Amino acid sequence: MQQLFFESFQKNASRKSYYFTYVLLGLLVHIITFPIYMVNRSKSTYAENAMNVKQQIIDSGKVIQWQQQYEAEERTKAQFFKQSIIEQEIAVKAKQLAQMKLEREAEKTLTTTGILKNSYKNYFSNLLKQPLFLLITIIPGIFMYALLLITSNPFIRFIFERLLQSVFVIIGVATLVFTILYISPFDPARNLLGVEATPAQIENFNKLYGLDQPYLVQLWHSLSGLFTFDLGTSFAGKEDVTQSILNKFPVTLEIAMFSLLMAIAIAIPVGIISAVRPNSFIDYVFMFVALIGLSIPSFWQGLIFILTFSLELKWFPATYNPNNWMSIVLPIIVLGTSITASIARMTRSSMLEVIHEDYIITAKAKGLSERKVITKHAIRNAMIPIITVIGLLFGGMLGGAAVTEKVFNISGIGSYIVDKQFIPDIPAILGGVVYIAITISVVNMLIDILYAFFDPRIRSKMKKS
Amino acid sequence: MKFISDVKLLLKITQEYVNAQFTIAFSAIFSLLFLLYCFNFSEGVWRPIVLVFFAIYAATTIYVWLTSLVIKKDLAKHREVTKRSRLLGIPLILTVFAGNVFAAGYGFMLASKNKTAEYTFAVYAFLTQIFILMISGLNIFKPYVVDTFILAMGTFIILAALYLVTAILIARHVTVDTAPKWMLPLGIVLLIPTLTGNFFSLLLGITLIRKARNTDPSAVEKWQKTWNKILRNTMAVFGLFFIVFMFSLSVVSSWTFDYDFAVENNYAVLLQTPTLEYPLGTDNFGRDLFSRIVFGAQISLIVGFCATIIPALIGGALGAISGYYGKNTDNIIMRALDVLYAIPGILLAIAIIAAFGANTTNLIIALSVGAIPTYARTMRANVMQISNYEFVESARALGANDRSIIFRHIVPNALAPMIVKATLTIGGAVISTSSLSFLGLGIEPHIPEWGNILKVGSTYLESHSYLAIFPGLCIMLLVLSFNFFGDGLRDALDPKSN
Repeated sequence: MQQLFFESFQKNASRKSYYFTYVLLGLLVHIITFPIYMVNRSKSTYAENAMNVKQQIIDSGKVIQWQQQYEAEERTKAQFFKQSIIEQEIAVKAKQLAQMKLEREAEKTLTTTGILKNSYKNYFSNLLKQPLFLLITIIPGIFMYALLLITSNPFIRFIFERLLQSVFVIIGVATLVFTILYISPFDPARNLLGVEATPAQIENFNKLYGLDQPYLVQLWHSLSGLFTFDLGTSFAGKEDVTQSILNKFPVTLEIAMFSLLMAIAIAIPVGIISAVRPNSFIDYVFMFVALIGLSIPSFWQGLIFILTFSLELKWFPATYNPNNWMSIVLPIIVLGTSITASIARMTRSSMLEVIHEDYIITAKAKGLSERKVITKHAIRNAMIPIITVIGLLFGGMLGGAAVTEKVFNISGIGSYIVDKQFIPDIPAILGGVVYIAITISVVNMLIDILYAFFDPRIRSKMKKS
Repeated sequence: MKFISDVKLLLKITQEYVNAQFTIAFSAIFSLLFLLYCFNFSEGVWRPIVLVFFAIYAATTIYVWLTSLVIKKDLAKHREVTKRSRLLGIPLILTVFAGNVFAAGYGFMLASKNKTAEYTFAVYAFLTQIFILMISGLNIFKPYVVDTFILAMGTFIILAALYLVTAILIARHVTVDTAPKWMLPLGIVLLIPTLTGNFFSLLLGITLIRKARNTDPSAVEKWQKTWNKILRNTMAVFGLFFIVFMFSLSVVSSWTFDYDFAVENNYAVLLQTPTLEYPLGTDNFGRDLFSRIVFGAQISLIVGFCATIIPALIGGALGAISGYYGKNTDNIIMRALDVLYAIPGILLAIAIIAAFGANTTNLIIALSVGAIPTYARTMRANVMQISNYEFVESARALGANDRSIIFRHIVPNALAPMIVKATLTIGGAVISTSSLSFLGLGIEPHIPEWGNILKVGSTYLESHSYLAIFPGLCIMLLVLSFNFFGDGLRDALDPKSN
């Protein structure tokens, strides 16, 4: 156990931010150990040893040699830049450089002999090795030990860091959106109560929703509201914002999920076929269709689909109805079109890149069938960038859902935000945008973490660091 | 030149043959569309104009197919396209008057053996001008035209003639790396029509001037090589053609189109179906849909370009700084941009517009802010790569300061992926603009913008569907063109494919 703490501390404390956090979290422990270290320091043997080593190097005549070398270098440098040569200056500089080299050399020899520089870092890591010390300090330094435990394993440390990053991004998103809405020149009170509202009414409204408070107080309320899932009531209609978002989010998520599934099911085979037969007729047709899919505005596509499949052919209903699964088909296709096109293009280019790698030639050379080369060696390697792109596109899709929802009259989160923006209804917009951003962040974080487990290259890189 | 014995391979690398295949495909698709549209199924009557178009396109398809057979035979017999077969291209040029730019472009390509980049520029400048002439010409069926109409039309005809003459002269006298000295004034003259938004003319003028002066052959060669690579991609050329055409049309529309038809209500002609006077019909206020779409192109292009250039500059600068300095600077900038990156662009735009109101300036700002992180990431990755090159090190050794190293040595070498990215995202910006307008969050509703037109059209979907179909088609074509051109640019500029 103490070995684990010791290693974790040794490895991570070399990074300033971690060292700082360790000290901060275990402040109660460090308050006591640091003075003890200061007292003990004078007894150190390090300085003595260093003196000895230095003397040895000087005696061997190396320093003078270095000095002459530096002098020659300085002279040629001055000559090259056509500067006047001042002997005295050069001598001083060369001496300085030689001294610096001496320090470095001495330290190098000392570390090879195993005598560590006497720093607080080393002192403390040595303390961590003692079971008694751990037992005494486990209660006051519990946070520090927790962090040491987390950071002892590179995987867990990576997950922890990624999690922390997501939390910061989410707080940043919430602050940004709140600030944008806060500095808005619109006055929700006047927009809601109408032009005839008396100043007293407006003041009352602002007081009711806390709009008269200073910026930081409002920000704090919004942030804590976001994380405790209590955003209060919306300005118009006085409905519970969290509850409405909770009611509307599943529809959007359901459509987005189905769209994503459709996209993956269609796009990846299409991309692979295109890449396996590049510049063939089928490749041209697929990529042309994909480019059209990328260029078509989703709301127009929705209108055209309604026109043909609902009004003319009467296959699907034109508006969404939760009780009729047929009505969800058109929105899924419309929302999924552009992401299908993107994934297909991405798959093609990623596959093409992989197919030209040397290991594919090796696989072919050792006599594997084309099918086996593609399925076993090419696809698996090509999937890595594709999955990242899918994660990023998923975010864009949730954002673009607003337009599709409006076209098909779906009361999802996107159309909720659009409906609320005219007032502007600050808690509703803030909640809607931030919860979508959180969903996206979580999805992307999960993808990143999954990578760390599945991609052997990332895994080995992490172990090395 | 190497002797290529395999006819199949020869066919593959002969541009005329590849072009013919494209032209056959597109002409066939269009003939099919015309065939489907020429019979009105609900009323059971024929549409004679559409039928004529179908006949022209079908005939063109067959003709092009025959020329492709001739090329095949020539290649098998003589290993090159003969002079006699090249003459077959000339009649195809006339198909431009039926709007078949594919066949006309193919005709020009077939007609000349000497295919320099300038020739292509001149040809497409000519085609663009003819298209603008025809589109503007539709205004003569209107009750009245603007005062500058005759003058503008006259200018267009003169310009078209100028481009045609230039194309012929180039085919005769310009080679891959030289141009005769007397072409210099011609090049300068060709810079002037740039004012009509015809970018092909600008490119043509610049290339001719550089070639005729011949002061820096290596730069000329580099320029030529890049353009040849882009122009070899047929779809990229058509993409560029449509972009230039739209841009030029939106520049000259104020001289040939009457803005009143687009915005003034005319209750005598509510919801008319397409006629010659109103080529695409009228909307619920009697406004001419055709004029509205033409003026809508202005807004879409302005917003699209602004919402691309602004974030490219800001994001590019941030990315360059963070990529060059690294460490804490990099960390702070990129973590701040991560926050922006976590919000989907459209949602951020909705939030910004909710806070500051819906108008064109706010729309541009809203779309720009969301796009900054992607540009910053692209630029950062490039700069990080280029900072490690020797020339940066030598610049530093010579005492250049950081600013001049970043902006004079690194950024110019990191621009290519940024240009590609920008071209590919203009299309996205155009779509976002119209989407937001459709939601009532973009351009003010009284301005004829494609999203606004579609919004009106969506309410008449059942009875007057053309109101929703045409503006949507325009958006799609414009975005498609940007994507095609962007793809072509990427293929040409990507060092991997070199």
